[in-house]
Amino acid sequence: MRTDYRRGDGLEKVTGQARYAADMVLPGMLEGRLILAGRPHAHVRGVDASRAEALPGVFAVVTHRDVPDRRYGSAVKDRHLFAKDVVRFEGDVVAAVAARDADTLAAAIALIDIEYEDLPAVTDAEAALGQDSALVHDEWESYSLGYDGVIRDRNDCAYVDIVKGDVAKGFEEADEVVEERYVCDQSHPVPIEPHAVVAQWSGDRVTIWTTSQVPFNARSGVAETLEMPESNVRIIVPHLGGGFGGKCEFHFEAHVAALARKAGRPVRVVFSRHDEFVAPDKVNHPMTIELKTGISRDGKMTARTARVVMDTGAYASDAPSIAEIATMMAAGPYRIPHLKVEAHAVYTHKTPAGSVRAPSGPQIAWAVEQHTDELGRRVGLDGYEVRKRNLLEAGDEGPTGQTMTAIGALECLDKAREMIASTRQEGEGVGLACGWWFSFPSASSVELKMNLDGSATIITGAQENGSGAVMGLALIAAEELGLDPARVSIVYQDTEAGTWDMGSSGSQTTFNNGRALISAAGELRKRLFDIASAKLEAAADDLEIADGSVRVKGARSRGVPVADLAAAAFGQGELLVSRGSAATIPMPENFGATCAGRVAFPAFADPTFVCQAARVLVDGRTGVVTVKEIAAAHDFGHVLNPQGALGQVEGGIVHSIGMGLTEGTQYSGGRQLNPHLLDYKLQTAADAPAIRVEFVDVDGSSGPRGGKGVGEPPIIVAAAAVANAIADATGVHVRLLPMTAPRVWSALRENVSLGGVEGAASPPGLPASGEGAGQ
Amino acid sequence: MTAVEYFEPADLKQARDLLSRHPSAAIVAGGTDLVVGSRSGKRALPKSLVAIHRVNELRGIEGQHRGGLRIGALTSHADVESSSVVLRDWSALADACALVGSPATRHLGTIGGNVCNASPAMEVGGPLIIFDARVELASRGGKRTVPFHEFVTGPGRTAAKAGELLTAVILPASNRRPPVGSAYLRLEYRQAMEIAVVGAAALVAVDRRGNCKRARIALTAVAPTCIRVRAAEEMIEGKRLGDGVIDEAARAAAALARPIDDVRASADYRREMVAVIVARAINRAVARAQEAVR
Repeated sequence: MRTDYRRGDGLEKVTGQARYAADMVLPGMLEGRLILAGRPHAHVRGVDASRAEALPGVFAVVTHRDVPDRRYGSAVKDRHLFAKDVVRFEGDVVAAVAARDADTLAAAIALIDIEYEDLPAVTDAEAALGQDSALVHDEWESYSLGYDGVIRDRNDCAYVDIVKGDVAKGFEEADEVVEERYVCDQSHPVPIEPHAVVAQWSGDRVTIWTTSQVPFNARSGVAETLEMPESNVRIIVPHLGGGFGGKCEFHFEAHVAALARKAGRPVRVVFSRHDEFVAPDKVNHPMTIELKTGISRDGKMTARTARVVMDTGAYASDAPSIAEIATMMAAGPYRIPHLKVEAHAVYTHKTPAGSVRAPSGPQIAWAVEQHTDELGRRVGLDGYEVRKRNLLEAGDEGPTGQTMTAIGALECLDKAREMIASTRQEGEGVGLACGWWFSFPSASSVELKMNLDGSATIITGAQENGSGAVMGLALIAAEELGLDPARVSIVYQDTEAGTWDMGSSGSQTTFNNGRALISAAGELRKRLFDIASAKLEAAADDLEIADGSVRVKGARSRGVPVADLAAAAFGQGELLVSRGSAATIPMPENFGATCAGRVAFPAFADPTFVCQAARVLVDGRTGVVTVKEIAAAHDFGHVLNPQGALGQVEGGIVHSIGMGLTEGTQYSGGRQLNPHLLDYKLQTAADAPAIRVEFVDVDGSSGPRGGKGVGEPPIIVAAAAVANAIADATGVHVRLLPMTAPRVWSALRENVSLGGVEGAASPPGLPASGEGAGQ
Repeated sequence: MTAVEYFEPADLKQARDLLSRHPSAAIVAGGTDLVVGSRSGKRALPKSLVAIHRVNELRGIEGQHRGGLRIGALTSHADVESSSVVLRDWSALADACALVGSPATRHLGTIGGNVCNASPAMEVGGPLIIFDARVELASRGGKRTVPFHEFVTGPGRTAAKAGELLTAVILPASNRRPPVGSAYLRLEYRQAMEIAVVGAAALVAVDRRGNCKRARIALTAVAPTCIRVRAAEEMIEGKRLGDGVIDEAARAAAALARPIDDVRASADYRREMVAVIVARAINRAVARAQEAVR
């Protein structure tokens, strides 16, 4: 595979020519805004928009009265487009306004009277699980489900467990048992481009330009909530300025469509950064993770119980499937014969959580991997040794019964340890962390056209989120058809063009659409060989395609340009076009004595493995942690586009460090306290450490050319490796995420005040005593 | 943003005249506070704006007789941080200007705007206090200068009167015998786009025996304005500088801080960090004073 591939949209993006949804301008277009509740829980007594509607230049105010009275939601149908009588989080949409310009819009919003009766907010997920807790949804029992298998009870909108073996027996076999509790704050995907939606009606058809990672979900959401056929809804995604999951699922397309319909004009809504933090139902779950694991003197894990409580906010969104992933992550990529893992996704009056890049992965790996180090410490093993003795290998049984085939977990561990600098300065520490993730099989399809000059065009429903996955399709087509990738164009971004696709989520674009494309290209190549076979007087089996020609294998001079073959077909009245679909990949087997798998993930299909090592510097006086270096080794099967994969790994690492150290939302009474970029501190370019990356080549994936999903795994373990490096430098594990400077400082102080006695018991939630600061 | 009256004077005289006719007008220089604040909905733009970015007389750094320095109000942070004379003789101010926002902010943002914005977290505040800086204010009625520490009266509040324009920051000449070093440090959670959680500026004059002859210490972001902490200065003045003495001074500074609890840090953490950052600032200033000897 070529390492010098330049993605097709690169130049226009870096030169500022690329146009995004917020750049859209249509004749007569109005400016719109969604009015958010701004309070975590209240009865809506009434909305009086009469004064706003009377203001010249105001074209429409929309509330729940203007749309069909129906609930939607991907897992649980638990929300309305516009709040009817209750708002359940500060970002609940109460109304929307469209006016001729921003000033009129601001004036109109000031004239809308919304009468609220504030109610107490449920803000603690653990307390919300109690039978005596107030309900976030009084009518939860009457809600219908988006798919089967969701187990619910009051505020617990998804319960999942894995039960394997006999944990009591496993703990008896243990020589040491470690029991710990970890707490993670909410964090956000923070794409630099906030949500933006433009809607324009033509008769009873609507075209919506939107910042969606999943345009076909957006289309079905609009069709469902506005009660119209999908064929009347066209979703176009101009260039997308990042998503990281924050733009997955159907979000605000129907609100803006309803507004444009009532206004009788096209309407554009662009989110402020504040609204981007508060309103989309896609943030990383705040969670508590309780782990108890037994280990034998020879360093083998014998049993684990784990309980994960995910604060899923006001609406279920896609949390039930994330709860399943959470159970797999809490089990970890380890050989543990006896397991009991449970996860709950719990309603509270907060911004709904959902599938942000590798949902639940970074938080749970951060807990599990610190736990792994502590287990090792108890039996005298370092971070490398304890992992070496427990990581999954080919032939091992996974948490839910799947048998591992060739996997690169151990090789990743060795590579990461090799790559990280072995020397460290004063105050520095080194930590390792391992993780795993899955590839996501889904239906997917591609159309491929051979143009008359021998160039090719891909028509796909796959969505480019900025990662380059769709751009990389040109490289695959080029290699399959013996073309220069610059001669392959891609039609995408439009639900009217490509067929249904799951969208840019679940690391699935290349995994599924890539397979569809290889199939389509194979068909086209076969047709080209058929035509060439007569011209070259050679059997089709003896032909190959390269450098824009079909030629006889081993006889380079005997060839015919692809353009001539396309022309020949055209002369016979044939246009060269093909369609390919991704073959169904069955989910791995599952022994079934478990709830995991009822919704989506009975096991991890074509699992990917990672080990990352971190070297950090801890300022013991302030608690400020500086990440100096990360070494990353990933098993992605066979990497198809090294340049693209490298970008994903580097970006994921920096994102993970942000989750680990400086991000995190602070809440007070159901309100976010730092919904802006000054105090929600992303990592900057200046903070990025030196990053070394190696890909461990592993056979056996059912993905395209043996590739596996790449987008999500890079974010999973960097925060965990940083945590272990902090502990290496200071002797103290920090059990609150993010590990901000004040928290690290507090943990160090707590450790000193506990005397730093080795092996001293520490209450859950407090830093365990380590070997003492400064060692 | 609402419709505003907007003026763009070409020189200082026009600016003074406009301000006298529109005494309630806000003055905008780089716009990194006013315009950004308005766009983010923090506060609406004032009805009337006088944009002074074309008043070139207000731009630039010039030496004054006997070694003082006059920094025009429109001088950007980037120009201050890269000025060789500032780097040499007023290092703490160069430190502070190099920490403001991002490269873009530092090229657009001006020292005059930063001072007039009167944020308690203003990076340049501590350095201006330790250098006994004055600010020059001009109006149609004439000119006056005010000590910097009297100019900033509270968060977002200054002693500027209606119709007055801040034209320059003046750093008076100071005695450089024995050698003087200064430094500004802040506690930061990340390497760029940061705002001070705790900042400290220190100036020391250190003689050949390592005795501190003179000290100035000021704090940023731990009180309603940047503050000078005399009690901390007194702990090191006249003493031989070692870790014990410096730590005592740092603790005295922490005792004078009046920090708040907010999303950036708890008051307790801030107070503890004052001691850490002050000690580091003094040590760096001492190191620079000793370098100045060589």
